[in-house]
Amino acid sequence: MALARHCALLMRFVCFTLVITFIESNVPSVIRGADLLPEERSIAEVVDHYISERLKQEKIEAAPSANDANVLRRTTLDLVGRIPTSGETASYLADTDEYKRQNLIDRLIGSPAFVRHQVNEFDALLMPGNKSSLREYLLPAFTENRPWDQMFREMMLGREDDPEQKGALQFVKSRVGDIDRLTNDVSVTFFGVNVSCAQCHDHPDVFEWSQDRFYGMKSFFNRSFENGGFLGERNYGLVSYQTTDGEARKAQLMFLTGTVLEEPEFAEPDDEAKKAEKKKLDELKKQKQAPPAPSFSRREQLVEIALKSGENNYFAKAIVNKVWNRFFGYGLVMPLDQMHPENPSSHPELLEWLARDLVRHKFDLTRLVRGIVSSEAYCRSSIWPGDSRPDPDMFAVGSVRPLTPFQYATLLRVATANPDLLGNDQEAGDTESRLDNLENAARGFAREIEYPGAGFQVSVSEALLFSNNERVRNELLRDSNDMLIGKLKKIDDTNEIVRVATMSIWNRLPDPDEEAALAAYIETRSDRRDEAIGQMVWAMLTCSECRFNY
Amino acid sequence: MSKRRNWFCGSDEHRISRRGFLSTAAATAGSMSALNLLREPTLAAELKKQDKRVILLWLAGGASQLETWDPKPGRPTGGPFAAIPTSVPGIHISELMPKMAQRMEDTAIIRSLNTKDGSHGGGARMMHLGRRDEATVKFPDLGAVLARELGSVDSKVPDNVSFYTATEGRGNAVGQAGFLGARYLPMSLTTNSKPDDLARLESISELDHKQRHDLRELLSNRFIEYRHSDSLRSHNEAYSRVRGLMASDKLFDISEEPQSIRDRYGPSLFAEQCLIARRLAEAGTPFVKVSRAWWDSHGQNFETHLELVSELDHVMSTLLDDLKQRGLLKKTMVITLAEFGRTPKINGSLGRDHFASAWSCSLSGCGINGGMVYGATDEDGQTVKDGEIDAGDLFATIYEALGIDPHTEYYVGSRPIPLVHEEASAVTEVLA
Repeated sequence: MALARHCALLMRFVCFTLVITFIESNVPSVIRGADLLPEERSIAEVVDHYISERLKQEKIEAAPSANDANVLRRTTLDLVGRIPTSGETASYLADTDEYKRQNLIDRLIGSPAFVRHQVNEFDALLMPGNKSSLREYLLPAFTENRPWDQMFREMMLGREDDPEQKGALQFVKSRVGDIDRLTNDVSVTFFGVNVSCAQCHDHPDVFEWSQDRFYGMKSFFNRSFENGGFLGERNYGLVSYQTTDGEARKAQLMFLTGTVLEEPEFAEPDDEAKKAEKKKLDELKKQKQAPPAPSFSRREQLVEIALKSGENNYFAKAIVNKVWNRFFGYGLVMPLDQMHPENPSSHPELLEWLARDLVRHKFDLTRLVRGIVSSEAYCRSSIWPGDSRPDPDMFAVGSVRPLTPFQYATLLRVATANPDLLGNDQEAGDTESRLDNLENAARGFAREIEYPGAGFQVSVSEALLFSNNERVRNELLRDSNDMLIGKLKKIDDTNEIVRVATMSIWNRLPDPDEEAALAAYIETRSDRRDEAIGQMVWAMLTCSECRFNY
Repeated sequence: MSKRRNWFCGSDEHRISRRGFLSTAAATAGSMSALNLLREPTLAAELKKQDKRVILLWLAGGASQLETWDPKPGRPTGGPFAAIPTSVPGIHISELMPKMAQRMEDTAIIRSLNTKDGSHGGGARMMHLGRRDEATVKFPDLGAVLARELGSVDSKVPDNVSFYTATEGRGNAVGQAGFLGARYLPMSLTTNSKPDDLARLESISELDHKQRHDLRELLSNRFIEYRHSDSLRSHNEAYSRVRGLMASDKLFDISEEPQSIRDRYGPSLFAEQCLIARRLAEAGTPFVKVSRAWWDSHGQNFETHLELVSELDHVMSTLLDDLKQRGLLKKTMVITLAEFGRTPKINGSLGRDHFASAWSCSLSGCGINGGMVYGATDEDGQTVKDGEIDAGDLFATIYEALGIDPHTEYYVGSRPIPLVHEEASAVTEVLA
């Protein structure tokens, strides 16, 4: 008993920050709508206003904007998941239109590749490390820019008999075998709150309800089950649990904010009725049919409460924070799954404003993405020559972000293709289809690369793969005519070789000293010039500039 | 043989310091990377763990404790094999291990594991991670933790190597770095005894391979200047280790060993991989796992064990001799472990089934109080009657023996995570 007591004490501190969440989340937010910038301002303006305001307070001068080539690369990677081609880079650098960046954003967001990239990013967000995928559902959903609240509703409540929504249920289905995991994954993914600590430990003197909160959330899912590949939900079943003091409790249907939902009384069926139910379910399984819908759905209650205004906007803020993190490499609240008052946002008004904007504009994620990448803050250079680099939560300097496996694999394909085949005319349909093909060809390589999470470190096996694997040589360093190396070896002028290579691989022109160093590399190996070109391309592909979005 | 769990005393002082620590952590969370190691090492502790390594002999499928470390001769559960005395008076082990019986001085047997999970998947995960899986934290396995704790950042040798050439149960033997990150993933050898991508392709000359590597470094260094990020740094670190690791290619080549040594180990794949493990340990690799499958003897348990235990006895004793002769045993721990043991009850197919309630493992060498048995099962081996421990306690013991404080905390997001689960503590009797 003494041991259990020590344990409980210890866990209190482990869960300290989490627990505070639940106390304070009952307190109304201190930021009121009237204190925020007006609704009609543009997202980009508002982002820059709040970011600059804090920089001013802290007396930090932000890094200048990155140069055009850098902004083009960053935006293209972020919006369509690949690097720009030589042709796109050249025409962007030559473009003198004062709205060229806005035009770029419009062009990229309007392209089919934007949808594909959104699908990749959201599949990774929703199904991290999961073998199953939501792609089948996400593709049509992002094609029509379906509102995020509707997608959430479909993921929780999709109807099995609706072919469009059926795929959405994969989110729940792939987790329904482990209700604790489902509970936590829903909380983390859609509300930015990690409730796992509260699963095991109760703190009877002060924080006795922390477990109530976890089991309250669990109650939304405990009646869900799978039957022959179909998702069903029962009308009965309670969650009971034991506090660390050994008291047995029945959980209430309780949302993260502490709000308890009333529900109709139910009669627990007797053994006979349960047997009949089992028989019916077995029959439905044989007939490959979905179980009947419940008369009262707890999952539906979760959707209603989560989307109700006044419930602290967990739902809107969590997605704003995640989208922000994707484009800035750092959330407005960090860690992403610790969105609670004890762990305040670096820019609370900005988060509040963006969440309000999202709600007012029908959860339009494309609007949010467009607004964020249109800001000046998004375009800052990642170079900081001074001594004390500002903390990442100041957003004073551009971030350096590891590419996702798919981005890197696609980059390698686009960078090593013969640039002549990708065309100079960015509107050309066949260029788009060639890029599609390269993107498809990238899937194989993407499987060799690890998905970056928080604190991501590149593994030595990746470096070994690129250094010594035959596949790299065969797929990326071939000197056939369809490949970059095939083109380069036909160029006589060494400096021209370097310029074509840097435009293809680095999406910019070389600095004079880079050009000199690379040209010297090739010239000192004039006895094996073609091979030297291959080695140079390898070095450029594997250097850090290529591995990161910067 | 009581087990003391005294690392958290429950006193106000302790509580306050933890509270202070957590609030500081919360306050600075914004400026910390998501994963941070919080510790203030004393110099002594740091020195203590220098130069330590571990070779884990993973008996995949679940070796029988009754035919190895905890025989019950003459009991209905005992099976046909006798127990034999060992070089340490009072300790008896299965007659299938006559060579190990002559070398008990450096080995501690633990006979009191109760790990509760009798499934291959769950059991193997638990015995790799030292605790139960948790939905939201991806824990690092023993190899990844040791690579991080015992390895050096710029090591020229791999710091986590895992052999698993059999196909049975390979998926269960997790090699996961979890929140520590891919830097600590094992170099995984599944098809042969040489790692992938370690040897230079013939299509590129040694000179060009080196020079393009230098060119890459030059370009990356230009890029990295004025751009700071841990991920970015890890990219260059990974590449900077490539050439060194390639030089370690020969460590995997046992033809570099004198024939007499190779003969001593014998010709089996398990023996050859253990010899490679010794070569790696000698070169400074902190963790090598050599997996031998497949011990899952639901039928014909005794024939299976006659073959597998005899091999284990020979190879393990050769390995310990070899390490000892080279003066390496003092800094190298050799562990035998599986996902669970096997049932005392002999089934209708003369087999033994999965059994996690009372089973055994062994620890030899570095930091271990050899020549002793810890814990005991009842006369039929059905339950632990003395010194029961779980996976966390075992891991705490291993860490402690290596000079690593098992309650060192990693910091993931805002959550401190000790190396072993909160209730675990080392078995001090086993420690030298």
